[in-house]
Amino acid sequence: MTEANNIFNAVPCTFCGCLCDDIIIEVDGNRIVKNTNGCAISKERFIGHAENRCLEPTVSGKTVSLEKAIERAVEIITSSKRLLIYGLSSTENDAQREAYRLAELTGSVVDNTTSVCHGPTILGAQESGEATSSLAEVRHRSDLVIYWGANPAAAHPRHIPHYIRQPGEYIKDPKNDRKIWLIDIRETTTARMVDRFIRIEPRTDLEVIQTLRALIRGHKLDVSQVGGISIADLEEIAIAMKSAKYGTLFFGLGLTQSWGRHRNIDAAIRLIQDLNAHTKWGLLPMRGHYNVSGANKTSTWVTGYPYAVDFARGYPRFSPGEYTAVDMLARGEADALLNIAADPVAHFPRSAVSHLTKIPVINIDPKINMTSQVAEVNIPAAIAGIECDGAATRMDGLPLYLRKVIEPPEGVIPDRDILRMIIKSLEKVMK
Amino acid sequence: MTEHLILKNGVVFDPMNGVEGEVMDICVSEGKIVEKAPSNAKVIDLKGNTVMAGGVDPHSHILGSKLNVARVVSPDVNRHHPYPATKKTRSGVAGIIPSSFATGFLYSAMGYTTVVEPALPATKALGAWEEIEDIPGLDIAMLPLFCNSMISFKYVQDGDISGLAAYIAWTLKKVGGLGVKVVNPGGTYAWAYGKNVCGLDDEVPEWDVTPRTIMTGLAEAVQELGLPHQMHFHPTNLGRPGNVHTTMQQLDAIGGIKPSGKKKEVVHLTHMAFDCLGVVEEGMSNWKDVASGGLTFADYYNKHKHFTVDLGQITFGQSMTMTGDGPFQHSLYLLTGGKAKWSNIPVDVELPGGAGIVPFTFEPKSPANAVQWVGSLEFALNIKDLWRMFLSTDHPNGGPFLKYPLLISWLMSKKQREHWLGKVHKFASERSTLAEIEREYSLNDIAITTRAAPAKILGLEKTKGHLGLGADADIAVYGFNPEKTDLANNPDLILKHFLQTEFTFKGGLQVSKKGIVGKQLHSRVISVHPELNQDLSQRIDRELEEMMSKWFSHSFSNYPVPKRYREHLEMPTVIDSTAVKA
Repeated sequence: MTEANNIFNAVPCTFCGCLCDDIIIEVDGNRIVKNTNGCAISKERFIGHAENRCLEPTVSGKTVSLEKAIERAVEIITSSKRLLIYGLSSTENDAQREAYRLAELTGSVVDNTTSVCHGPTILGAQESGEATSSLAEVRHRSDLVIYWGANPAAAHPRHIPHYIRQPGEYIKDPKNDRKIWLIDIRETTTARMVDRFIRIEPRTDLEVIQTLRALIRGHKLDVSQVGGISIADLEEIAIAMKSAKYGTLFFGLGLTQSWGRHRNIDAAIRLIQDLNAHTKWGLLPMRGHYNVSGANKTSTWVTGYPYAVDFARGYPRFSPGEYTAVDMLARGEADALLNIAADPVAHFPRSAVSHLTKIPVINIDPKINMTSQVAEVNIPAAIAGIECDGAATRMDGLPLYLRKVIEPPEGVIPDRDILRMIIKSLEKVMK
Repeated sequence: MTEHLILKNGVVFDPMNGVEGEVMDICVSEGKIVEKAPSNAKVIDLKGNTVMAGGVDPHSHILGSKLNVARVVSPDVNRHHPYPATKKTRSGVAGIIPSSFATGFLYSAMGYTTVVEPALPATKALGAWEEIEDIPGLDIAMLPLFCNSMISFKYVQDGDISGLAAYIAWTLKKVGGLGVKVVNPGGTYAWAYGKNVCGLDDEVPEWDVTPRTIMTGLAEAVQELGLPHQMHFHPTNLGRPGNVHTTMQQLDAIGGIKPSGKKKEVVHLTHMAFDCLGVVEEGMSNWKDVASGGLTFADYYNKHKHFTVDLGQITFGQSMTMTGDGPFQHSLYLLTGGKAKWSNIPVDVELPGGAGIVPFTFEPKSPANAVQWVGSLEFALNIKDLWRMFLSTDHPNGGPFLKYPLLISWLMSKKQREHWLGKVHKFASERSTLAEIEREYSLNDIAITTRAAPAKILGLEKTKGHLGLGADADIAVYGFNPEKTDLANNPDLILKHFLQTEFTFKGGLQVSKKGIVGKQLHSRVISVHPELNQDLSQRIDRELEEMMSKWFSHSFSNYPVPKRYREHLEMPTVIDSTAVKA
């Protein structure tokens, strides 16, 4: 850690999966006054870290001490028969590891936000494997980069300017030596940043991918167009993909959560695998929350599985669609929710939220969010990567150490410590 | 936490101290083997039990991103192997790629106490340290990969062995490694271009380096630094029929490096089952003509003393192949007709082409698999000096570490080999001499090749692999009386006893009894910190900052693993490497 005159260098930004770690943070007293290098979202996250905070624990809307809040949380957990623990993607690895311990101790289900973002990516990989890439690799070598169903201009603002449109060891002139394409159903702001935008019709991703596979394998197709693109154009695209020296496919929720879901990803993986018979290609999901990759990783080494894990039998079992949070709630199966560093009320479908309002909810978050409004117990947490340290994983699997640059509000502690307090009280109760 | 113990009347096999099947008492105090235990020591009567030092496994993939990718991609392999929690121990899954807690527990139950992860991309080391928090009961070490790193290439290209050595020293200190791993030098890098290398003097794209200059440069740098463990080497041409000849060529090339210390060996050839395939007479380098290379390689081994070996035995059934050898993994995927699930993980700068992962089932009835199975056994049963060899399955490549008892049974029992020769494809008999081999490993041979030799090969023989005074009190007690048990004629007993010890002690603490782990101990990490002279140290700081800032996609200052993740686990050995010229 480099720290001089309250200036912190090389701080990882804990917003999106880019985890840019060249941020310079200037602190004056207990205020962050400057964020250099960060994107607009990063600046807002650091400079606005004190805004909209949940500062005191509450039970049923009444301010209580942390101990009282923990006590009520433990009561809810012990009287629950089917606890769901959810969230975890916007916190650091140690908090996640404590959540698994708590799930094991209570025989609960633990799921992270993967189940509503890149869950299908994991299911696709379970069908076919995964030929991935890494961000420096793309910068140094990739002469053709395709974004598919992703809008980095809005969701990962520095992905293109910081990692991709940069000179690399073997791509000296990123403007001319590297082509960036976007495939999407609408002309997003990203379309203006790329060299070529290819619009496809909604719900045709799978067909377009499979057509490209067929063309790359040298098959002739008896149709004139697929997904709104002429076969001649698709042939040209296939040839360009085959003749790239090192291609990279970045894909977003436009591919994972649209018609076809994990089948789209399965096909995209097979497309990349096919291309490796001719040249070098890799693919990477554009992971959203800064540590959703970490949530998959920690869950995998601790439980064997990346998300949707049930401990009801005293050991981990994996079943997406069954132990995934939305399904647990929509089916009315969960009878209590412990939510950590996520906002299910804002993001879940109505049927799931409707059940969520009927069960006791414990919500651990630094900020007031929509879930805080329905939670019986709210416990404020320090913001990882700003007010406490920890580790997180970048979208390409690189682990990074997060910094504490400022003290959390008084009495506010990290997620991991809140979870440890709950576990400690539970262990006493369960003896 | 300290416990004093007297382990009485066990039949002890401690080859490092020349003890072969003697009834002895072993005294333990404060985690170490001592002359005499204090009077309040707990006494355990081990009459009729076999006692050895804790097992040492220098080559087992137990952590890192490749393992997690494998678990994610293949949940099916763990689904039917639950490992339930108890009041004292955490839960997990225990299939061929067990979860972290289960990995530690399963090793403890087998009597193993030291395990080395042999393929660490250093840039991802932080994640490895976090995982070690959740792998209990072991002393763990890690070998960072240096073989396809652009930084290594720069120093090799410049012929700057001091710079290369300093880069190694810097990395071992900053991420906490034990030694140097080399995987398909130049080949994995070439995979970033969709290519591979096969000959010693093949070109590597963009760089004026070759497999030969990379492997000899790194082996020399390891000797210059005086690292306790010689260069850990996965050669080029892995898994190619006939590769026994190119492997011997590569070992010849490295044989020119002068050892700097007392140890004669300058390279450790890992998982020879994958590196030493032969072909039938006048055959071609293809799977149709594959034959055992075991005898050829045993002959080479017996004549050349500059290297050590582990088996990488394939054990049949489901396995998970994972190596830093991206092009090999892709060829394996092609071998399945593109049906297998192929994963590839490039890593910034250190592993540009990428590690690969392919689930694979070794079939007894497959001619190619049967021949690969027989080759390493034929080798192991024909070598004279067991002190340069250890048993491994290259977990989980040749099969999970849980198959070690099966491997031991093949080595100890001709009866067991005959039984298996009857089950596997006839090429195993036709294309090897295994059926005629009478040799059976003794218990002492097993003690050498599962603890004493591997400890020496790692350079940890002061505290590991034996039961002499000053050794760590890592002890495995097997529940059979060696004087009364005919293991060779009862191979099932070998499987039973070597899967679950009667007791396993780690640092003097009892961690398991009859295969049930009752204690969850924090693991520790063994690392080496080479001290450089000031000039070299300053030079490397400067040069690495320049290269890493240019080539990595994250900040130079974020490369090292912070103390917070290390200081409570790490046991660094500082070595004097100040003699390396600036």
